[in-house]
Amino acid sequence: MKSWASAAALAAVFVWANQACAAESIKIGLTGPFTGGSSSMGVSMRDGAKLAAAEINKAGGVLGRQLELVERDDEAKNEVGVQVTQELINKEGVVANLGYANTGVALASTRFYQEAEIPVIDNVATGSIVTRQFLPPEHKANYVFRNAANDKIQSGMIAEEAIKRQGFKKPAILADATNYGQLGQKDLTAALGTMGVKPVTIEKFNIGDTDMTAQVLRAKEAGADVILTYAIGPELAQIANAMGRQGWKVPLIGSWTLSMASFIDGSGANGEGAMMPQTFIQAGTTPRRKAFIESFQKTYNIDRMASPVSAAQGYDSVYLMAAAIAQAKSTDGRKVRAALENLEAKVEGVVTTYDKPFSATDHEAISANIPVFGVVKGGRVVLAHPEDLEGDKAIRTKTGS
Amino acid sequence: MNILAQLIVSGIVVGMIYGVIAFGYQLTFSTSKTLNFGQGEALTLGALVGLSLVWFLTARGLGIGLAYIVMLPLVLMFGLAQGAVVERLGVRQAIKNKSEAGWIMATIALGIIFRNIAENLWGRDALKFPSPLPEIAIVVGPVRIQPMEVVIVLGALAMMLAVEAFNRKSIFGKAVVATASDRDAAGLMGINTGLVITFSYALSSMAAAFAGVLIAPITLAGATMGGVLGLKAFAVAIIGGLSSGLGVVVGGLILGITETFTGYYISTGYKDVPGLVLLLLVLALKPTGLFGKAVIKKV
Amino acid sequence: MLVKTAIRTLIVAALVIAPFAVTSPYYLHLLVTIAIFAIVALGLDIVFGYTGEVSIGHAALFGIGAYTAGCLVMHFDLGFWPSIVLGPIVAAAFGGLLALPALRVTGPYLAMVTLAFGTIVQILINETVDLTNGPLGIKLNTPFFLDLRDYGDTWSILDMSLKRMRDVEYFYVTGIALLLAVLVINRITASRFGRAFEALRDAPIACDCMAVSVYRHKVMAFIISAAFAGFGGVLFAFSEQYIAPNTFSFDLSVQFLLAVTMGGRKSRLGPILGATIVVFLPNILADIALFRIVVGVIAAIALCVGLYAVLRRRDLLPKLAPPVALCILFFVLALTMRSITDFRLSIFGLMILFVVYFLPDGIVGAAKILLRQITPAFRKRHASTQAEGEASHAITVTTDAVSADALLEVRTAVMQFGGLRALDKVDLAVTAGTIHGLIGPNGSGKSTMMNLLSGIYTPTSGEILFEGRSIAGLGSSQIAGRGIARTFQNVQLFGELTLLENVLVGLHHSYKSTLLDVVLRLPRAIREERAARQRAADILSFVGLRDRADEEARNLPYGKQRLLEIGRALALDPKLLLLDEPAAGLTAPDIADLIAIIKAIRARGISVILIEHHMDVVMGLCDVITVLDFGQKIAEGQAAAVQANPRVVEAYLGGAVAA
Repeated sequence: MKSWASAAALAAVFVWANQACAAESIKIGLTGPFTGGSSSMGVSMRDGAKLAAAEINKAGGVLGRQLELVERDDEAKNEVGVQVTQELINKEGVVANLGYANTGVALASTRFYQEAEIPVIDNVATGSIVTRQFLPPEHKANYVFRNAANDKIQSGMIAEEAIKRQGFKKPAILADATNYGQLGQKDLTAALGTMGVKPVTIEKFNIGDTDMTAQVLRAKEAGADVILTYAIGPELAQIANAMGRQGWKVPLIGSWTLSMASFIDGSGANGEGAMMPQTFIQAGTTPRRKAFIESFQKTYNIDRMASPVSAAQGYDSVYLMAAAIAQAKSTDGRKVRAALENLEAKVEGVVTTYDKPFSATDHEAISANIPVFGVVKGGRVVLAHPEDLEGDKAIRTKTGS
Repeated sequence: MNILAQLIVSGIVVGMIYGVIAFGYQLTFSTSKTLNFGQGEALTLGALVGLSLVWFLTARGLGIGLAYIVMLPLVLMFGLAQGAVVERLGVRQAIKNKSEAGWIMATIALGIIFRNIAENLWGRDALKFPSPLPEIAIVVGPVRIQPMEVVIVLGALAMMLAVEAFNRKSIFGKAVVATASDRDAAGLMGINTGLVITFSYALSSMAAAFAGVLIAPITLAGATMGGVLGLKAFAVAIIGGLSSGLGVVVGGLILGITETFTGYYISTGYKDVPGLVLLLLVLALKPTGLFGKAVIKKV
Repeated sequence: MLVKTAIRTLIVAALVIAPFAVTSPYYLHLLVTIAIFAIVALGLDIVFGYTGEVSIGHAALFGIGAYTAGCLVMHFDLGFWPSIVLGPIVAAAFGGLLALPALRVTGPYLAMVTLAFGTIVQILINETVDLTNGPLGIKLNTPFFLDLRDYGDTWSILDMSLKRMRDVEYFYVTGIALLLAVLVINRITASRFGRAFEALRDAPIACDCMAVSVYRHKVMAFIISAAFAGFGGVLFAFSEQYIAPNTFSFDLSVQFLLAVTMGGRKSRLGPILGATIVVFLPNILADIALFRIVVGVIAAIALCVGLYAVLRRRDLLPKLAPPVALCILFFVLALTMRSITDFRLSIFGLMILFVVYFLPDGIVGAAKILLRQITPAFRKRHASTQAEGEASHAITVTTDAVSADALLEVRTAVMQFGGLRALDKVDLAVTAGTIHGLIGPNGSGKSTMMNLLSGIYTPTSGEILFEGRSIAGLGSSQIAGRGIARTFQNVQLFGELTLLENVLVGLHHSYKSTLLDVVLRLPRAIREERAARQRAADILSFVGLRDRADEEARNLPYGKQRLLEIGRALALDPKLLLLDEPAAGLTAPDIADLIAIIKAIRARGISVILIEHHMDVVMGLCDVITVLDFGQKIAEGQAAAVQANPRVVEAYLGGAVAA
């Protein structure tokens, strides 16, 4: 009789413990391309985010509950993004979502979070309009945030660097035929326009193209003195190599994807000196960054991060969302969104220290002053202008913009 | 003029790559009236296996040039094996069932599986394949060309000539030719046509794997490298005609040069369109390809 | 019949109730997507299942439909209704544009052309930024027709929020669209067009020789299929609310194909089931727990079905053991896997392979075959015919003018194949109302002559006049339309069609109703179909096969197949009938039937050209006999004269009689 009772008690404890565990975790969606061409960004982002979640959980979680990242591969396809988004909202019941490396997927998917009033932080995709689809007053509130340097910021920086800092006059733009390349190309053309410069030619290519001779020759014939790019790693490498083959040496300046390992390795000597805006460079310029890089290397057993920017932004996005949930003392989407728009505590990330990163009207955590220029040197991305991160400039915080 | 020459040379290099992959299609199509929709993945795997071998050999102290040469026969053997696997797993059953969709779906499926395996083993990023030759362009008159590009053209030609010679001279090659001209009759003459078809698939994947290690030093090696090339080579095989080895070479050159010309003279955005339109035109006007033989209907 | 009605009512009821059972908007959206994919797959089945051609370009046609909607919304602010009408039309137009050149080829060539088409469409959508907004894509809103919120209080148990209502309403829209698609496809496939699609797949040459142009019907099937893809595309655009070029890729085409293959070709249930699986697949493959459950259930079902079937029929064991074992092995694998995301594509690929290997007819097809094997009572259902056959009505040709002129005249016909001259300046004249024998040793050019006369070959030189008009160079179907019907040396029946349907294909020319008549089931279409069925029954009675009218032709014994071929040829109402070795392989009683039938045919005034090796048949039937040897005419005349001709004897006995 006694043994029965104790067995029942034990069973009850188990059930309770199970339920407690189940009830306690806070589910956050993590969406990105984990397979296919742009997966190095998605996977780095995912790994960074998982690292942050593990750290937070080790330190006791948020609101006394553990964070649970629900990973879904969007395959960089819009319709898959839509499907996993609906699944995350309606089946998994996530309270927030982090991710997206592709602007198209973000545009197709974020709408559903907006409808469901669940906050999203886009931590890699850079298309300028991603955070501006649901601006008040047309919409009650905007649920889409970002902690990546958007294309406006990047294109502005690229134009500034090429035209003002280095004094080039005849830029040629080479962009891929995707959403990413074409949107960026437009922003870049506009940014050049504000400086009174018109690109001498704008060329296109497809994902998977291996021969860029035609594009490079056209740029050369047009008399370009600098090549500005908006594309991803493998094709960027082909551009650098085609230039090398033609024995044509002009500087290569482009969006942050010039830091992708596939570009650096694939272009070798031809890619040396390419410059790109970076929110994060794999260099331990602060103790916080050093710790992050070491922990990342140890956890995933690698030396060089495939996409340091994605990893760092993915990492930071978890801390930002955790801080908002903690401040809201709730997982209710509206409250978390309000908390994000008015974060009281400073969040010490690896990209920057976030001090009131968002407001009701500004959903971009990264302002134009935060990214620095990286340059490819000896197979790694290093600081282009070391003075950028010297001394008290090591942590560049957001300025009111 | 300078640019014209440069465009033609670039077109030839690209075209030869297409040609050698399309040559693989032609090999299997002639014996079995089927072809491998996963040919691009055979190329990918060839390049990646070659890359691993080069890594392994250079880590053992071999120079890159020597490592490349040692790697080549091993990759060719790997290609043979991979092709045989594709035929056994994907095509044999479908030929037995006389199902048109069967082999198309099965080879697509195997392609997907191989790509996924490549992603898991070699990662998702494109990798640098160390070049066995200096990466400095040679200047010939108005044209600049990399040594490796010359190797691509010569290597592709050599590969195709070697296979053709094998088919003409060796007894096994004659079995291939016999199966190609009439499978049923060849079967009645005691030729193991099943084995011949397996062999043609093996040769076909070998050609693709060879193409993979040829181009990887100037492109990059990665799980997705073969997809686009495989599709382009399809177009080439159809334009040239699936019954002729010469056809695929010419088809490859036509497509390669058309692409670079369109890219330069019209718009880089439409680079792929003329090739595809050409494909539709050829099919509309001469469905068996520019060099294809007309088929006599048997009643 | 009752069962069918019950099932139909049940399906409709399930559709009506579904949104109340499925309250999660996520699953409701999945159901909508399934319906849309099912519509495309059903359309693809017309091309892939019926005509047997593989299209890897349907994603592009789907995309054209979606972009028609997108462009109408973006540029003209037109909504759902104009799109749903224009989408299919535009897609059908593009489908026609593709099909006209593409369908001259088949097999891997066609797969390749459709693939190229898909790529071109994707590039065009990407590049024509002014029209399509390029890679940025187009946003649209799900339409909303009826606002029932005013009644919300009376129905307070239901969620009457605007979003929910919109979702539910759109679910009904797609549900009705799916039912409509099924209805329309049912009507088309049951009509003469559907029969033509199936016929051209089984025996394309015979199909052309029945005056049913293979090319024209393939193009037609493709256009119908494209219209359905476009229809689905419009629905998709309004359901997803955002379309971009990269959605409509090669991968999507493969998914459509997989849906049809996996579900089962040539059925309505198959593509719908396949679409369900394909849409649900990413879900299953995203969640390891769910994946394990699903694989477990499949393994259990496979085991149960396998065990049951094997208990009923021991001999099925070797056939069923491998797939069942693989299912179970797969389950074990699923249990040992820790993560699934990285291997998703491999699992997807393995599934396709499994289907190709073990379910070549798809799930529905396999279920049907298995059912038939373990319960013999279950037979493939065909629309059975009630019509009684009246043999004397079988031939309706009016041959009032038996003129002395030759019905058919061949003048110095030459047929050259490379170095081989199969026919060398042969003249031939067939008088109306006669049986004209054509004999000669093997390889003498008899069959080549038949192929010239029926348009399968075009003569290298020479003239062929039929009723005084030249027919050389015309296509098979045109010549058949002029009144020359034929049978084949190696029987070429439409194997998967019933006997009655085989004859109905021959009667294709007797219809005037259009596709629209068929789809709307206008009186003309019904009337013509009934008349044709009566006529087909008459013809079957004439050749003595009326009692087997509803069997599949491939199940018929060889001798009867030859008789059926004659019946099918008669359906063409020919003036001239070409019989290519009709007695080959026939038993003695069958030959007696055959002779009687040929005599009856001549009695009705139809001329016959007869190739035959059975000399007693030839000598007994033929009014005139022509003898060929090595492509040349060596003798001509009445039976007795020809038999006595030394050159004929020499040709047959091989030079024994010297000149």
